[in-house]
Amino acid sequence: MSTPLALRSILRAPAALRPLLLQQSSRALYHSYEHDAPPAYRDPENAILSSALAQVPTHGFTQEALTLGARDAGYLDISTNLFPKGPFEIVKYHLVTQRLGLKDRVQFPDDKTGVGKRVRSLVLERLRANVETGVLPQWQQALALMSLAENIPASLRELSALSDEIWFLAGDVSVDGSWYTKRASLAAVYAATEVYQTTDQSTEFRDTGLFLDRRLEEVRTVGGVVGSTIQWAGFQAGAVVNLMRSKGVKI
Amino acid sequence: MASIIPRAWKRLRLSKTSGWVCNDCRRTFATSRVQRQQQPPASGQHESQDPKSTHFGFQTVTEELKAGRVANVFSSVASSYDTMNDLMSLGIHRLWKDHFVRSLNPGSRNSVEGQKILDIAGGTGDIAFRMLDHASNINHDNQTSVLVSDINPEMLGEGRKRFATSPYKAAGRVAFLEANAEDLSAINDSSIDLYTVAFGIRNFTYKQKALEEAYRVLKPGGVFACLEFTPQLRNPVMNAIYKRWSFGAIPLIGQVVAADRDSYQYLVESIERFPSQEEFAGMIRKAGFLLPGHGGEEEGMQGAWEDLTMGIAAIHKGVKPA
Repeated sequence: MSTPLALRSILRAPAALRPLLLQQSSRALYHSYEHDAPPAYRDPENAILSSALAQVPTHGFTQEALTLGARDAGYLDISTNLFPKGPFEIVKYHLVTQRLGLKDRVQFPDDKTGVGKRVRSLVLERLRANVETGVLPQWQQALALMSLAENIPASLRELSALSDEIWFLAGDVSVDGSWYTKRASLAAVYAATEVYQTTDQSTEFRDTGLFLDRRLEEVRTVGGVVGSTIQWAGFQAGAVVNLMRSKGVKI
Repeated sequence: MASIIPRAWKRLRLSKTSGWVCNDCRRTFATSRVQRQQQPPASGQHESQDPKSTHFGFQTVTEELKAGRVANVFSSVASSYDTMNDLMSLGIHRLWKDHFVRSLNPGSRNSVEGQKILDIAGGTGDIAFRMLDHASNINHDNQTSVLVSDINPEMLGEGRKRFATSPYKAAGRVAFLEANAEDLSAINDSSIDLYTVAFGIRNFTYKQKALEEAYRVLKPGGVFACLEFTPQLRNPVMNAIYKRWSFGAIPLIGQVVAADRDSYQYLVESIERFPSQEEFAGMIRKAGFLLPGHGGEEEGMQGAWEDLTMGIAAIHKGVKPA
């Protein structure tokens, strides 16, 4: 579907530009087990942003952390111009690397664990990454940056990618309408839990775990109610049509 | 004001041009597609069949001639350059330049050396002043210095005049260099932190060569930054209005205020001939720079430049990899 469109836009471009466009379109839209995905960041970006992230516990998600990160990576202060969105790029770097690293953090040895349990442990593992990297005390600042109008699209894209990743790693293979509702509801649950985590004072973030359990339970209940309601409405509609037909209405 | 009007009127009557808009330009904005097919495309002027010719506005001239004619244009507009910019862009060029400098964030905190900024085609010192102000006032950096380079001695003279009374001149934070951006042999390899060129690169005969020269003089991690007009606006309606303005009004303002229609006719034609954002970003990448803002994202080259005011101008950046 998208291939002829992409091809057309490439052919429409000036000849000098076509190699550039081809280079872009090489990124596959599907997951491949055989081939590693292309790296999310180029090497210099990786070097600067990872050093900047190491500065976050002391300097927060600020331009200063980015500048210090550039210095640590052997770059100049001015090199931070590589990142037009400034501090938000550090936030995004954390989100992207932790999402991609999630598959190595959690292993499910047996097939007995249910999908629901797996989702729960994946979410908790992802939240633990916030603690381990030491960014949690500054995470409210990151949430504030993510909520700026110019950053909202990128933040939401990252949230939906995380939600998708969690369902994928949990082994969910549904291909019906629930594909969308599952991802949307998990994204909502994750976002809420992450906000809760920033204010959690309990040891080992026990309260966050309990909070997550309550949210997942709600989703299950609401999902069940919605599903039953739709089923009931469908049955009633069918019954009404049959009733009308029995009275001679030509439907 | 009262004295300007009779003077301007005199100039208008003296001028030999037959109409308000020349026929060539009429064709340009009316049917740009047809015109593009008839004339060689804006891009790839160096790769065209005849390697010895390039464009000077819409005219085709030999490459040796172009530099001289560009020099003539800027010699004749030097004294009224800043006034003309205000009139032509309705003051918006100041906002662009402010934004350009602010987004670059020159100057470094807690640094002993400060940064070395090279401002190419910076004759009248507009960018240099802003750079030094930003470094001193925002980043409290009193070491950063700017080397203003221009091929045109008249334009540099305007800059010298403006800096003569400023504290930056006394502190030795500004210097001037008369050089061709395609051959910066006066500047050492890997010695510059930030290379800027604002509204200058479209006048260069060999743009790719200038980019390579920028790559050479920059330190690893140094930044190339360019503020330049774009040939086409994205919105076709706004593009039509904008072309009306640039081909109708700007040469006229040039005629009235600076008594020099041809120079300003050249300026608007040279904008039309400049490569599009995509092509220019490709040229920057070809010179070896890392383009910002598309690391691992599916946005393609979108983040590599920033459009200003509906894309009338654009900021391009590139970072020299370490």
